[in-house]
Amino acid sequence: MKLSRTLLAVPAAAVILFAVPGAAFADESVQVQLDALNKSGASGTATLTAMADGDLKVSIRSTGLVPNSPHAQHLHGSTDGMDFHCPDMSADKDGNGFVSTEEGMPVYGNIFISLTTKGDTSPKSGLAVDRMPMADAKGNLSYSRTIAAADLPKGTIEHLKDLHIVEHGIDADNNGKYDMAALGESTLAKSAGLSGIPEEATDPATCGMVAGAAVGSVPVGGVATGDGSTRNDPAIAYGIGGLALLGAAGAFLARRRLSRQS
Amino acid sequence: MTDAEASGRSRRGRYALSAVVLALTVIGVSALVRGGQETPHSLPAAAAAASTPPDRTAGVLTAGPLMSTSAPTRVVIPKLGVDVPLTGLGRQADGTMQVPVDATTVGWYTGAPTPGALGPAVLAGHVDYKNKPGTFHRLTDLKAGDAITVDRQDGSIAMFSVLKVERYAKNKFPSDAVYGAINRAGLRLITCGGHFDSAAGHYEDNIVVYADLTMAHPA
Repeated sequence: MKLSRTLLAVPAAAVILFAVPGAAFADESVQVQLDALNKSGASGTATLTAMADGDLKVSIRSTGLVPNSPHAQHLHGSTDGMDFHCPDMSADKDGNGFVSTEEGMPVYGNIFISLTTKGDTSPKSGLAVDRMPMADAKGNLSYSRTIAAADLPKGTIEHLKDLHIVEHGIDADNNGKYDMAALGESTLAKSAGLSGIPEEATDPATCGMVAGAAVGSVPVGGVATGDGSTRNDPAIAYGIGGLALLGAAGAFLARRRLSRQS
Repeated sequence: MTDAEASGRSRRGRYALSAVVLALTVIGVSALVRGGQETPHSLPAAAAAASTPPDRTAGVLTAGPLMSTSAPTRVVIPKLGVDVPLTGLGRQADGTMQVPVDATTVGWYTGAPTPGALGPAVLAGHVDYKNKPGTFHRLTDLKAGDAITVDRQDGSIAMFSVLKVERYAKNKFPSDAVYGAINRAGLRLITCGGHFDSAAGHYEDNIVVYADLTMAHPA
């Protein structure tokens, strides 16, 4: 009984061993460091975890954002090998002292995934601020969402380390809200034929670049890489010998019992 | 202020917010369309000089060479005469790492970045197994600066250099140091060591070799 169970277990283990590599080799956790853009004073950290089942878990913690305000946030970049990075102030083409969203896009790439709190995560939801996370009264933002594998653009997991995170919404005049008085009208909005949208609401506040990576599924404890079978340890020899003797004795007793029953 | 004024203001606020939501949604779509076509304008030198100091230095936050993700196929450690193929290792039902099923084969942990890519790649091999010395039985002989190379499925070769060799009690295994986030492409070789607990049937310690990627040979 015990023997047959062991025999069955061996092929099962072998199947698991060989089944794993192709399926889950990108199971890792990517650390993103969010640094201030546009003198926002905001910063944060994010973790992008490629789950074994192909889902993507996104966790973001930011501080110093405009309080009680929605902050549109996205994964930017592409999976075609373009080398995007976070812009510095040289991206401020119009020289107004702030890098706008449209000025930043050539540097950090188009929206790849919209980091909404619910529903659609495609680029279509890029600035759906009704589904974007709110900073609390202290300007802290906490976000966590697992995006199903089926909803991820092709190549997302493979190119996780090529993507960037951008959070939008700044308070240039430090009055605690988005308004027209600070930077005027959003140039994005204006060029789209819309008026009355504060530039503050659309300018980037933080941009995050990959700063590190970790094991995605951390194994429990140490690793059993040895059985001591080549050690000259008399205790082992005695141990094995002792077990063998016990086994022999057990078999002998069992046989005796059986023969007595029959 | 009167109630009427207050409610009027809050209603205005609500309208304003709705307008912003609608506008931003439209903008988002148009920005996407336009973003793809955007070409950088040339910047007058005067405007560049006038711009305020950057919040951060542009560039990268990582250190050292980095390679794309590709499964490893073989590990070579010249100093130890090691040159063996690699097999994938997952986790057991109890959450511990699987180990190779023979003394020779070395495994790579598939729940980690691949060797050469950003983060800690993990290889595990036996110190001994089924009466044979394992491929990693002389791992403690490695010293800082020793070379470890890993062949990868895409034909590229990741060359690592040993940083340090550490020994840890298994019951105090430093998971953060071994598996945690690093800002470069790293490699950890794991085997067993220390006292053998014959009652429990395993070594009490793990040996961990830490290495960094020093060179990426393209395919």
